[in-house]
Amino acid sequence: MERREQEEDEERRHLRGRGIVLPAWPTVDGPLGLSPEESVAYARRFFRWGFALLPWLWAVNCIYFWPVLRARPSDFPAFSPLTHLRPYVLRSAIGFTVFTVLLSIWALTFMIGGKPLFGSVWDDLVMYNVADKLGLTGWY
Amino acid sequence: MADPGHTINGGGTIIDSLGSEIIGVMSPVSICMLLVVLLISALSPPPSAAVDASTPITAATLVYLESPSDPPSQKLVGALLNAAAFVALVTIATFLIVLLYYYNCTSFLKNYMRLSAFLVLASMGGSIALSLLRRFAIPLDTATSLLLLLNFSAVGVLSVLSPAVPILLRQAYMVVLGVIVAASLSNLPEWTTWTLLLALAVYDLVSVLAPKGPLKLLVDLASSRDEELPALVYEARPTVSRSSNPPIAAAPAFTASIELQPLADTPTAEVSGADHAIVEIEHVREETAPLVGNAGGGRRPESVSSHHSSEIEILETSPLVINEDVGRQSEGPRRSHASELERGIRLGLGDFVFYSVLVGRAAMYDLMTVYACYLAIISGLGCTLILLSVCRHALPALPISITLGVVFYFLTRLLLEPFVVGASSKLVCI
Repeated sequence: MERREQEEDEERRHLRGRGIVLPAWPTVDGPLGLSPEESVAYARRFFRWGFALLPWLWAVNCIYFWPVLRARPSDFPAFSPLTHLRPYVLRSAIGFTVFTVLLSIWALTFMIGGKPLFGSVWDDLVMYNVADKLGLTGWY
Repeated sequence: MADPGHTINGGGTIIDSLGSEIIGVMSPVSICMLLVVLLISALSPPPSAAVDASTPITAATLVYLESPSDPPSQKLVGALLNAAAFVALVTIATFLIVLLYYYNCTSFLKNYMRLSAFLVLASMGGSIALSLLRRFAIPLDTATSLLLLLNFSAVGVLSVLSPAVPILLRQAYMVVLGVIVAASLSNLPEWTTWTLLLALAVYDLVSVLAPKGPLKLLVDLASSRDEELPALVYEARPTVSRSSNPPIAAAPAFTASIELQPLADTPTAEVSGADHAIVEIEHVREETAPLVGNAGGGRRPESVSSHHSSEIEILETSPLVINEDVGRQSEGPRRSHASELERGIRLGLGDFVFYSVLVGRAAMYDLMTVYACYLAIISGLGCTLILLSVCRHALPALPISITLGVVFYFLTRLLLEPFVVGASSKLVCI
């Protein structure tokens, strides 16, 4: 009876995580990636460097530690380093999402709004006009 | 595998053992070439607007700058001189790298590679991106584009040498680096390109196979020290984690099945991991330091063309390297204890670059030459890989492919094209 319950529990977990029960490895590369202990150090570094206008590092964090991001915190074993890893990855994900949304709102406003919205400043801000002004030639 | 009878009978065994590796090497090369062809066809100026004033002076046009009005003999001599100068430069640079590596200046080499990767991505990649923005008239504002460029380059620098990025991302950045350099090199004048490619193929052959060739020295040195090659190298299937911290030991604590075991296992795993983490932190600090310098320093004031001379040196062709154990995976017991040393095929970034330069040059003529060159290069690469599985030591990847590619280009251009165009314009069905 107890055994059967256990099995059911296992099955439920399978269904819930769509196959990902627990992150056997913290990284998407599996056994080729970093060990959990190294991962924490790297994730912390990447998360902190992300504030230096480098949000793509947050994106790298999210992609690399995808299994950790997908798993639930309650699934981790009690003393595993993954419990330390997850906050960094989660915050990276939030940071990257916020950054991307803000940046794309601004860039799309700039692109679609165009001259009618921004007036003559628009011409001074478009990248290729600035490059022309600075004398940066393109590739050809 | 070494006995000839076995090789003849079981041609399938070579293909079997190398199959996934062949795909793993060929697909990035194909992607790289495809991207270069797309870039060139998107960005090449309309023929009327082609002004030769834009051809920059690079390391490959030190001696002679081709102009369309020169007679062929002068072009040939000038192109030969250019190729000789370029190959001499590459040789000197390679010997320099070997010397530096011999005297254990590995950190200097690594930082140099990071710096040059950053410069390639930021300046050359930036100028290509600028051309694309201009070509498609995308009104991106300055701040956003600079921010994106900074992020792109920073992640690129990290992914080239830091271990903490997905393997897929590292491979993608290798391809991107190849595309950028190849696209910049395809600005070279036509005669110079062809002589340069042939000269590099010969150089590659000599420097990998000759007893005192610089690349052979480098490969031998690296394998005797059991280290990575100090060069930008594409790895088809990367190394398994370092043997000092075998993942098998760390894994059980986090798998579902072990969850049910007594917790006594976990603390030991943590202790062994703890001191390792400290080492790793120092390692990271050392690795991120150059990033700061680069980001603050910004771009060099010179134009793109002047970068070529310094960048190309590190991208010189690295030979194909194969580990002893690839291709012997069927031998179960042997594999189990050698698995941590097992590696995939590695292909130098220079090979990517020069394959793509060839295809890109072909793309400036016609699409038919592109197909011919692509097929020639891929089949040459396949031949090289099969040779590799037979020889089992580092082989040059350029000679066969480049020779086939050049031969097929001229055959297509001189023979096939008049035939096909003539036939189809006369409405002959072929």
